[in-house]
Amino acid sequence: MGPFEYFEPRTVGEATKLLFIHGEKAKIMAGGIDLIPRLRKGEIKAGYVVNIQNIPGLEHIEPNQKGEITFGAMARLRSIEGSETIQNKYPILYEAIHQITSVQTKYMGTAVGNLCVATPASDIATSLFALGARLKISGVKDERAEPIEKFYVDYHLTSLKQGEMVTGVLLPNPPPGTGTAFLNLVRTHADIAKISVAAAIVVQNGICREARLAIGAAAPTVLRAVNAEAFLMGQKVTPEVIHKAAEIAAGETKPITDIRSTAGYRREMAKVLVKRAVEKAVETVKA
Amino acid sequence: MKKEVAYFKVNGRSYEVILTPETTLSELLREHLDLTGTKRACGVGECGSCTVLVDGIPTLACSTLAIAVRGKEVLTIEGLAKGTQLHPLQQAFIDSGAIQCGFCTSGMIMMAKALLDKNPNPSRQEVKEGLGGNLCRCTGYVKIIDAVMAAAEAMGKGADR
Repeated sequence: MGPFEYFEPRTVGEATKLLFIHGEKAKIMAGGIDLIPRLRKGEIKAGYVVNIQNIPGLEHIEPNQKGEITFGAMARLRSIEGSETIQNKYPILYEAIHQITSVQTKYMGTAVGNLCVATPASDIATSLFALGARLKISGVKDERAEPIEKFYVDYHLTSLKQGEMVTGVLLPNPPPGTGTAFLNLVRTHADIAKISVAAAIVVQNGICREARLAIGAAAPTVLRAVNAEAFLMGQKVTPEVIHKAAEIAAGETKPITDIRSTAGYRREMAKVLVKRAVEKAVETVKA
Repeated sequence: MKKEVAYFKVNGRSYEVILTPETTLSELLREHLDLTGTKRACGVGECGSCTVLVDGIPTLACSTLAIAVRGKEVLTIEGLAKGTQLHPLQQAFIDSGAIQCGFCTSGMIMMAKALLDKNPNPSRQEVKEGLGGNLCRCTGYVKIIDAVMAAAEAMGKGADR
């Protein structure tokens, strides 16, 4: 691992100042589960490592005044997985974390850290796209909240500007009549997904009123199948409609061929998983 | 980068070490403190062999900066036995034939300790899930799970932790 200077800021302000001064050479360390191995392998370089573990107030998982749940940048995956509020209110986030096999990774790693890696194969990001999550971002001078779709710019590239860090995630209240589902396809559960799908659907009197379909590992970033979502809106959710929506969604993917799968297989499986996820989401509305 | 003096607590003992910030916890343990019971296998957080407990939390020493655990209680495999009396998990691993090449054993036992500290009476399935982040390339998983179940039983009957 190349030499770097190490900082332990005690406030978000101190951290963002360090990030601003040192720019791209500075890397944030939350759980370290991604950063340290990548530094060791030489995949990335850091002149400065900013450890945010000792900043008070970033570990919370709690409701705000509107009842929306927020969790902080240092909320560990294990804590989010174990939160009854998350399990009951946002089951697809729980499922995306629960199926991670390494317990150590969950004790050490944070959800925000996973998001900031900006890999399209993030099951957590895929479920948060469907849930309409917003990221809380602090800079040297101001703060902003950004929908998760806007945060992802390209493969391993986020919208964070110099001196900015993500301090937390805000999960909106699901509208009445919401059903959700998360599905992925893996070689083994210790590996990342070949493809993953998360769906959140609002159905009232059998009619789809809102749909968020997120697909992971099928493009440079997690993507929302916006055309399929638009197709579903206002329709009665019959098997034929779901089948057509799945076909449209598969057409919106831009998969690649790599060691885990081929582009063609990923596109086919996107269709299958979107179909199953929408069916399952609709079932959970009735339940 | 610059070397600095740092203070660590490992297995109840205090250590003063001069190190650089890029030193990992596994390097600190193995190369600075001669505590070579903690194994480094994959070195990139995939296999669980380097698992130690930091303030009771199972932690991958290869993916942790030593400097970030200053002042915290680090527990390694060397800290389990009391003199010549083995920890029930160590005894159960021997009795169950759960050690083959031995490279995963320290990590398996430390992870199992974290599991039993939280859940003293786990089901077989809970043990499997609890050890999901620990690989044994001899593939001796059945006996490892047997050992953890046996240790849980022994500890329930009052065997000394």
